[in-house]
Amino acid sequence: MILLEFQNRIIKEALLARVGVDKPDSIDLTVADFDGVTFHISSTGENKSVVQVSISIRCFAELQAHGADEYLKKVYGSNVAPTENGYSFTIALDFDKLPANKDEVINDFALLKRHCLAAPIGKYFDLCDKGGAGGDKTAVISYREDEKIYLNAEKDRVTVVFSVRFRDADDVVLGKVFLAEFVDARKRLNQAPQVLFSKEPPREIAGAGASVADNMSYVTFVLFTRHVKGAERENSISLVQTFRDYLHYHIKCSKAYLHSRMRARVTSLLKILNRARPEPVVVERKTATGKTFAKK
Amino acid sequence: MSTTLRPYLDAVRATITAAVCLENFSSQHVERHNKPEVETKGSKEVLLQPVVISRNAQERVLVEASINAVRISIGIKQADEIEKILCKKFMSFIMMRAENFFILRRKPVEGYDISFLITNFHTEQMFKHKLVDFIITFMENVDVEISEMKITTNARARICAEEYLKAFH
Amino acid sequence: MSEPHHLLSEPISCHAWNKDRSQLAFSPNNHEIHIYKKEGNTWVKSQVLTGHDQRVTSLDWAANTNRIVSCGADRNAYVWTITDNEWKPSLVILRINRAATFVRWSPKEDKFAVASGARLISICYFEAEHDWWVSKHIKKPIRSTVLTLDWHPNNVLLAAGSSDFKTRIFFAGIKGVDEKPQPTPWGGKNAFGDCVRELSHGPGGWVHSVAFSPSGNRLAWVSHNSSISVVEAGDATEPKTVTFSTLPYVTLLWASENSIITAGFEYYPALWDVSSGTPKFVNKLDHAVKKAAVEGNAMSKFRNLDTRATEGEETALDTVHQNPITQLSLFAGTKDRVTKFTTTGSDGRLVNWDVKALESAISGLKFA
Repeated sequence: MILLEFQNRIIKEALLARVGVDKPDSIDLTVADFDGVTFHISSTGENKSVVQVSISIRCFAELQAHGADEYLKKVYGSNVAPTENGYSFTIALDFDKLPANKDEVINDFALLKRHCLAAPIGKYFDLCDKGGAGGDKTAVISYREDEKIYLNAEKDRVTVVFSVRFRDADDVVLGKVFLAEFVDARKRLNQAPQVLFSKEPPREIAGAGASVADNMSYVTFVLFTRHVKGAERENSISLVQTFRDYLHYHIKCSKAYLHSRMRARVTSLLKILNRARPEPVVVERKTATGKTFAKK
Repeated sequence: MSTTLRPYLDAVRATITAAVCLENFSSQHVERHNKPEVETKGSKEVLLQPVVISRNAQERVLVEASINAVRISIGIKQADEIEKILCKKFMSFIMMRAENFFILRRKPVEGYDISFLITNFHTEQMFKHKLVDFIITFMENVDVEISEMKITTNARARICAEEYLKAFH
Repeated sequence: MSEPHHLLSEPISCHAWNKDRSQLAFSPNNHEIHIYKKEGNTWVKSQVLTGHDQRVTSLDWAANTNRIVSCGADRNAYVWTITDNEWKPSLVILRINRAATFVRWSPKEDKFAVASGARLISICYFEAEHDWWVSKHIKKPIRSTVLTLDWHPNNVLLAAGSSDFKTRIFFAGIKGVDEKPQPTPWGGKNAFGDCVRELSHGPGGWVHSVAFSPSGNRLAWVSHNSSISVVEAGDATEPKTVTFSTLPYVTLLWASENSIITAGFEYYPALWDVSSGTPKFVNKLDHAVKKAAVEGNAMSKFRNLDTRATEGEETALDTVHQNPITQLSLFAGTKDRVTKFTTTGSDGRLVNWDVKALESAISGLKFA
């Protein structure tokens, strides 16, 4: 599995497990996802047939400013529920009255986080279609404490900029290796969005207050009209919003792999050192009854 | 193997072989104690002149000998940033297991990436020629490991990037 | 040519023979002294002497009075005497505050000298009146640990090698113990502690071993800068020092008035000819034979694969000793005509070497 899934697997499995169950148990699950997102899955109602899924996402206010409410209502329709206290958005599903396209509905439930972030991205895709948002209209989504997504649309392209900050000094270097490969790979793949990687905030988001720091880098995806229109639109949105997680996931995998390599190398070095140890001269062996016998 | 590596390792081997001629020597300063003189440096007359063997500015070995202990410090090739962190990670990984390696020092001597401390107690318990073999094999292995780790990391990054970008149609 | 006995897996740090060579005392690199007896073709442990509480550094067995003297890193020396087959120690007041490093009985066995890390030598003699061993110190001009000693046959001159790179000859005659000695070619004043000669072998190099020739008219020593030196008693010029390209020797034994056997960090004994006064390398005495690979059983094969990542026992070297040789000593013959000698090593081996067999096995080899 190289690419990450777009949906949350725990939500999906928790919901699917209740399909066709007569007397389901009550459920109360708190699930963490990337970027500090948490989900709360709980059953309500007397017969516990209604399950609600709430999401807590730190930049929800910014998302709302870019039409998240409308977008989510469009996706979830009658499943939208009153927002649970302490959460950003809540949807609910009554398992006694499952619609015919229940698989699709459940899948959409699992895609809650994706849909939240899809609202602003989709909006800028639309703006591009309509001739651009203009130079100063940059959207800033603070999806993590110190990392942001910047969105900008012009008439022929949408620019998505990620500010990427590595906490660990080693990750900075590994991150650079990965990001350099993204830029390189683009040169071989013409259909892909253009990828740029810089220490300074790119020109497109000038004026959006992007900071410069030692461990901060900027990754810019330039999506062309072919990515933002028609059949490709949804796929592009999904891919874009998993970029950071994808990058970090693979950096972590690399480190784990390096670790296992080092472990193996250390074991083999220890064996070489063991050759310096002499064999004991007298090998005294005892039988189970405690008798010893000498090796002649 | 590059043409300069062999003479470099040969020089290191000869120097260590000569340096690891140790005897049990009780401290002249502390009663009933026995300390590696190369570490305490309390008695000048039982220390030998340190020797540095260098292949280039980075790859070098410092051999500090004394009457009852030898300290061998190794500088490892680090051509770029990634090799630097791989080296750092690998060395700290090894040093965390110092007690398994017996002759490994928990901290490198300043200016070097890793240090060994061979005392007369080690040479009494182990074959000296095999200890020397180990140091040489260690040097060869570390270089190979670091360059292999770098190659595989780059390869992984390339595949990741390609797969991600290929998903855009 | 050689008769090896693999006694221990630990090093043998020092050893000494009794008069008829039927018993061997050695220390297995710890606080114990083991006495081994020969039974048939093998050596069997007969007694373990414990008195020291730190590592035993040196041993000497007085041939005629049948007493063992031992010294250790615990700053103590003991004289062991045997009554009813039982070795009993008596503590010697050395009055030193650092490790004792080396001990030797004087030729008459009425005194012994103890070298130490306190930068002095204790000369010990028995005071009948108090029924104990007392000591007098030789301090000047020693500037570092004394590593080795050897008595002149006249019972009063003592050679000492030290880690201050110097070899010295001291006058160690004690009033009331020694008679007024005959003058020797070494000259010098005759007061206790006088440094008769101070000798240097060039820059650097701890003196590992020092020995008077059988006549006492020559002195030889080996040091850590891979050198061997010889000086003649009457010759006031610099000692004749030869440096060589192999690893340093740590022990030496005069095989006759004109030849010296050396051994140390190269794992074989070597022969030097000193007929001319200047040491000349003759040959290695270990006729290296390529060892046939030891046929291991299946279990050892797999165990080796598991712990050492190698199949066979390829650790063995071609020499008899597999680690440095710690001591050489005379086994048979006389001081001026050694016919057999023994070596012990850090590899726990005791090897008995036969001069005649060596001469016939190694072409062109002749003990001078």
